[in-house]
Amino acid sequence: MKSEILYPGAFPMVRVQLDSGESFKAESGAMVSMSPTLDVESKMEGGLLKALSRKVLTGEHFFFQTLRATRGAGEALLAPTVPGEIVILELDGVNEYLVQKDGFLAGSQSLAIESKMQSFTRGLLGGEGFFILKIGGKGTLILNSFGAIHLMELKPDEEYIVDNSHLVAWTATTTYKIEKAAAGWISSFTSGEGFICRFRGPGVVYIQTRNPQSFGAWVRQFMPTSSE
Amino acid sequence: MSLTPNALCFGSDLPGSGLPCRVEISSDGLTLHAADQAPADRPVPFSLLSVEAGGFDHDQLVVKWEQAGVGRTLYIKEASVIASFRQAAPPELAAQMERTAHAVRRTRSTRRAVLLTVAGTVLAVVLGAWLGMDALVGVAVSRIPPEWEKQLGQMVLQDALAGQTVVTEGPAVEAVQAIATRLTGQIPNSPYPFTVTVVHSPVVNAFALPGGPIVVFTGLIKEASSPEEVAGVLGHEINHVLQRHGMERIVKTLGIVAVAAIVLGDQQGLIGLAKELGVQMITLKFNREQETEADLTGLRLLHKAKVDPAGMIAFFERLAKSEKEQQRIELLSTHPMSTARAERLKAELNALPKFLPEPFAFEWEAVQASLKAAPPPAKS
Repeated sequence: MKSEILYPGAFPMVRVQLDSGESFKAESGAMVSMSPTLDVESKMEGGLLKALSRKVLTGEHFFFQTLRATRGAGEALLAPTVPGEIVILELDGVNEYLVQKDGFLAGSQSLAIESKMQSFTRGLLGGEGFFILKIGGKGTLILNSFGAIHLMELKPDEEYIVDNSHLVAWTATTTYKIEKAAAGWISSFTSGEGFICRFRGPGVVYIQTRNPQSFGAWVRQFMPTSSE
Repeated sequence: MSLTPNALCFGSDLPGSGLPCRVEISSDGLTLHAADQAPADRPVPFSLLSVEAGGFDHDQLVVKWEQAGVGRTLYIKEASVIASFRQAAPPELAAQMERTAHAVRRTRSTRRAVLLTVAGTVLAVVLGAWLGMDALVGVAVSRIPPEWEKQLGQMVLQDALAGQTVVTEGPAVEAVQAIATRLTGQIPNSPYPFTVTVVHSPVVNAFALPGGPIVVFTGLIKEASSPEEVAGVLGHEINHVLQRHGMERIVKTLGIVAVAAIVLGDQQGLIGLAKELGVQMITLKFNREQETEADLTGLRLLHKAKVDPAGMIAFFERLAKSEKEQQRIELLSTHPMSTARAERLKAELNALPKFLPEPFAFEWEAVQASLKAAPPPAKS
C-alpha cells in the first residue's frame, strides 16, 4: 500500500495504490473513485459487538470500508467529509496513537484499531466523549482534521496546553489531564475556553487549527428557523 | 542493518515521536540498538535506571536514566522484554517495579470503582426519574396557569381546523352543543371555557385540546346510535381537559428529552436512540393511564348530568367488535383495548348509586338525517 496526498491544503484527497491482493480500511463513505480492479467491502471491524460499541460509543461509523485489489493492482482516491488537511503516518509497531472520533480516515489492514474508554473526568469534561480510538500495529495511518494540522513535539516532561476541541491525535506515550482553563469555574466558561488538556511529554500531539463545535455554532446563526 | 524495534526512545536530541529502537537486557544492564545510530559500546548499568508505568493503559514500562549529561526515556511495551527486565533487575530496582505495578493496579481498580459508581448513579437517576416522573410532571403542570393552556389550545385548534370543513349550524351542531352544555353544566367553577366544533370527516372520533376546545367529527355522530353514546365520548374528552392530560404529555415529552440530553452529554447516538424509543414508549404508556382516568371520570360526569351511561358502554362494546372484525386499531391506537374499557366502566357503574336517566330533548334520527341531507360544502 502506497499513499500520497493530492491537493494539499483545505480540500485534499489521498491516492492509495494497492498491489494485487492488497487491501486497506477506510472510514465508510470516504471513497471518491477507484480502479475497476478494486472491490469495496463493508466489514464490521472486530465483529458485531465491537462495531456496535464503536458506533454507539464513539459515534464512529458502524462499518469501516475495506477496499481490496481483488482483480489486480489499482488505486483509490479518498476524501474526508470536512474541509481540512490530511496527514499520513507510518506506524512501526511500537508507537500507538489515540485518535479522536472524527480523526480516522484510512489505514493499512494490519493496523489494530480499538475503542478505548477514557477516564471518567476526561470523558465527561474532555468534549471528545468517553471513547476514543487507539490505533497500533504496523502500517500506514491516515488522519484528517478540520482546518490545518499542526504537530506539537513534546520532549520528556515538557508540558503543553491544548483546547479540547482542537485535538486530533496524540501518541500513547504522552499523558494528559483535563483542567479548567481559568482558576474559577465561572471565569473558565466566560473566557470561552471551558476545559483544556494539559499534555505532558514525551510524544507528539496533532492539533487541528479549527474547532468543529465553534464552527457549528457560528453556522447555526445563519440557519433559517422553521416556522412550523 | 535492519532490526525489529521493541521500544521507543525519547530525549531532547531525539525526534518528538520517539526513536524506534531495540532493547536487549543482560545481567549488566540495558543495551540500545537504533537503526541509524552507532551501537553503544557497553550497556547502561541498572544502577542508573529508574522505572515507572506509562502509556494510555499504564501497560508500558518507562525506564529513565541520565548518562554523560544526556537524559533518556524509554517506553517498553513488549511483555517479554518487561519480563526479562524484571528478572535481570537487581533487588532495589525490582522492588521499585513492584511498587509501580502495585500503583497501576490500584489506579485501575479505582478507575473501575469510579466507573461502576457513576454507571450505578446514572442508572438510579434514570430509574428514579422513570418512577417519579408522574409526580414530577404533576408538580410542573400544576404551576402552568390555565391562561397559557387556553392560548396553546387555541393555537393548536387553528392548526387542526386548517383545511377542514367546519359545520357551523344545523341540528347536528345544536345537538352536540346541547350534550356538551348538559355535561359542562355539572362542572362548578371550571377554569376552562369549553367550546365544541363539529368538523366534516368520516373519522369516528372526537378530541379535546388543552384549555377547552373540543372537536367532534361528523363520523362519530353518524356512527353513534344514540345521543348518550356521543355524551359518553364527550364526557371522556372533557375530562382530558380537566385533568390537564395534554399539558402533562407535553411536559413529560419535553422533560425526557431534556434529561436525556443532560445525562448523555454529547453522545449523539444514544440521544437519537432515546428520543426514538423512550419518548414513544413513555408517551404510549402515559396515554393509556390517562385514557383510563378520563373514562372513569367521564362516567361519573355522565352520572352527575343524569345521562344514561349505558350509551358510553355500548359505544365501547361496538368499538371492540369492530376492532376484532376489521382490526381497526388505528382508530384509537393509544387507547386501551375497548373490551377492557367497557368492562371497567361496567364495574365502576355498579359502584355508583342508581339513578333515573333523563333523555335528551332532540330526535337523534333527525340529527343524523340532517348530516346525510346536507352534503359537505366544497372546501375553499
